[in-house]
Amino acid sequence: MYRTFLSWRYIVARRTNWIGVVGITVGVGALILILSIMAGFLAESRKTLRGSLSDLIIEPFMIARHGGSTLPESPAPLLEYVRADPRVAAASAHLTWGGMIVHGNKLDDLIRQNPRTHEDGFVQLIGVDATDELATTDLGLALRRPSRLGTTLVDDPEDPFAPPPGTAPGPYAWIVVGEQLAYTHSLRRGSEINVVTVMPDDDGRVRDANRKFRVAGTFRSGENEVDKARIYIDRAELADFLGHRPEHIGGRADHFSQVLVRLVDYPRDGLQVKADLARDLFEAGLVRDPDAGEVKTWEDHRQNLLGAIENEKTLLGIMLSLVLIVAGFTVFAILSMLVTEKRRDIGILTALGATPAGIMGLYLMIGFWDALLGCIGGGVIGVVAAINIDPIEQALSRAFGYQIFNREVYLFDHIPSVVDPGGVAMIITGAFVCTLLFAAYPAWRAARLHPIDALRYE
Amino acid sequence: MSTAGLDPTGATGEVVLAAREVRKSFAIGERSLEILHGADLALRASERLCLMGASGAGKSTFLHILGLLEQPTEGRVILAGEDAWSLPARRRADLRNRHIGFVFQFYHLLPELDAVENVVLPGMIARGGPRFDRSAARERAENLLDRFGLSERLTHRPGQLSGGERQRVAIARALFLDPQVLIADEPTGNLDTQTGERGLDLLLAEQELRGLALLLVTHDERIAARCERTLTMEDGLIQADSAHPVPH
Repeated sequence: MYRTFLSWRYIVARRTNWIGVVGITVGVGALILILSIMAGFLAESRKTLRGSLSDLIIEPFMIARHGGSTLPESPAPLLEYVRADPRVAAASAHLTWGGMIVHGNKLDDLIRQNPRTHEDGFVQLIGVDATDELATTDLGLALRRPSRLGTTLVDDPEDPFAPPPGTAPGPYAWIVVGEQLAYTHSLRRGSEINVVTVMPDDDGRVRDANRKFRVAGTFRSGENEVDKARIYIDRAELADFLGHRPEHIGGRADHFSQVLVRLVDYPRDGLQVKADLARDLFEAGLVRDPDAGEVKTWEDHRQNLLGAIENEKTLLGIMLSLVLIVAGFTVFAILSMLVTEKRRDIGILTALGATPAGIMGLYLMIGFWDALLGCIGGGVIGVVAAINIDPIEQALSRAFGYQIFNREVYLFDHIPSVVDPGGVAMIITGAFVCTLLFAAYPAWRAARLHPIDALRYE
Repeated sequence: MSTAGLDPTGATGEVVLAAREVRKSFAIGERSLEILHGADLALRASERLCLMGASGAGKSTFLHILGLLEQPTEGRVILAGEDAWSLPARRRADLRNRHIGFVFQFYHLLPELDAVENVVLPGMIARGGPRFDRSAARERAENLLDRFGLSERLTHRPGQLSGGERQRVAIARALFLDPQVLIADEPTGNLDTQTGERGLDLLLAEQELRGLALLLVTHDERIAARCERTLTMEDGLIQADSAHPVPH
């Protein structure tokens, strides 16, 4: 009874105790906030990184090494094989190449192009079959997502390469560009762009090619790297541009770089389907090596990034735990000071009937209040800040006139944050235990004080 | 061994606090220094007993042993019929809480608590009894302080009270749990003569009213003259035990 009453009175009456409380509040709040942001980064990364991919990526090594067999240049057999698996929901072939957007036609234009942003004009050309792609990846969502930059979306997301209504027919194929790319190069619906690229020809020599395309609209994936550099184009058009021979039915060039696969239940079947496909496709002569990573999950594909975020999260957790240890030391120092300062009170309480265990309990209770107030304060501040981190960052950026979170650098157009109740509980429990451990020694010292020595301390 | 202190008056009241053959040594380096050489004492209910002696005679040490704050090297202290120093610490603390009221020279109030809270503190510490009723305890403390002329000072902290007021709060605290024994160590030693006199009047009046046994340590002959017996301590022994009539 007196322990609770007196410890609370010490907390309220003595301002130095609040230093410990503030220390724990800052530590707990910072830990919750940072780990929530890192968890958000991870979750958002998973979402956006997967969004432009799919569940599995099959990327056969097309160029035969050491005189190995030649794989089919068309994705048709591979697609047929994959789609036969009941665990597969959809599959889409990609033809991927790099190029540059050129304003004008001269080399000089290429070098000094885009003076507004100093961007290099590099673009990633992704050739897709629209129907397959929409069934396999999140391109459909990206085509419907409203633009942040005021660019014009495609007219029909189900048929993105169709000429937009009301546009004059022309000789150039229609393409879909990322919203940042459109914004940077001032592209509107109907704009013509000149894409230049280089590629090897049949004799192994490098040759260049350029072609004009027309912009049908933009997409927004939410992933900066994609939105500022990607162009979706009909796969046959891209193959044609790259000079592949039209060797299949209808005279359409039918080359591919990879096949993306969406599964019915990725979390359940992902790893098993990956292993099965790697083995079966090798046996069917559709990939070169069952163990060379030609069949990957999207997580394998992005492992460097996902792994880095996981590592950062762990490291930040460890580093910020040091803040809690520092706060624990503060509590230790304040309580040690209090024990020295309150020697006489300890003697009085003993004279009035308190036991050494009671005295120890009293000082542990002070640590308990420090921990409780600090954890409640830190918990509330951390969770509220984590939930509202985006408006907070924007307000701070406005106040200081400096963009704190540079959306151009990161993959996202907002600061992601996921508050994990289990994580919050762990942080609070850790802070509590840590504080009580640091309070234990001064409390033990108080309990060992001889009452007479304490009473003589006048 | 000295038998002085064992009540030569032949009084028949119940002995509430007794010391038998109490010795106390302190280690100083490798040497052992004996401060008490076998002191005895018997304090009866309603008795007013004064302990005098020069500085260094051992009276404070004896008082602390009797108050169960310091363990004797040898000997026994009997309080409320129990050999206090043979009990576990928890039980001994309980005995001290319920049966002894301390009044210190420097009042020893807790500065963070107001007058009422200081008085109630022994009640909060008390264990084993019925559940602590905060409002009843507060009312009881307020009544005590009211009787001591402190009704206007109930919510004042020690720093806002005069020396005399603090001493009255300390007396109220000592009396809060109705102890059998009141131990007062130089209760007026830190007050001017007039204030000290008033404080002592209050203490003695309450002792008489409640029939408490009072053990009072003082250097002041006038205070000793108001006690029924005076023990004189010298070199760690009770050397003289004198009974005398008390002017009330």
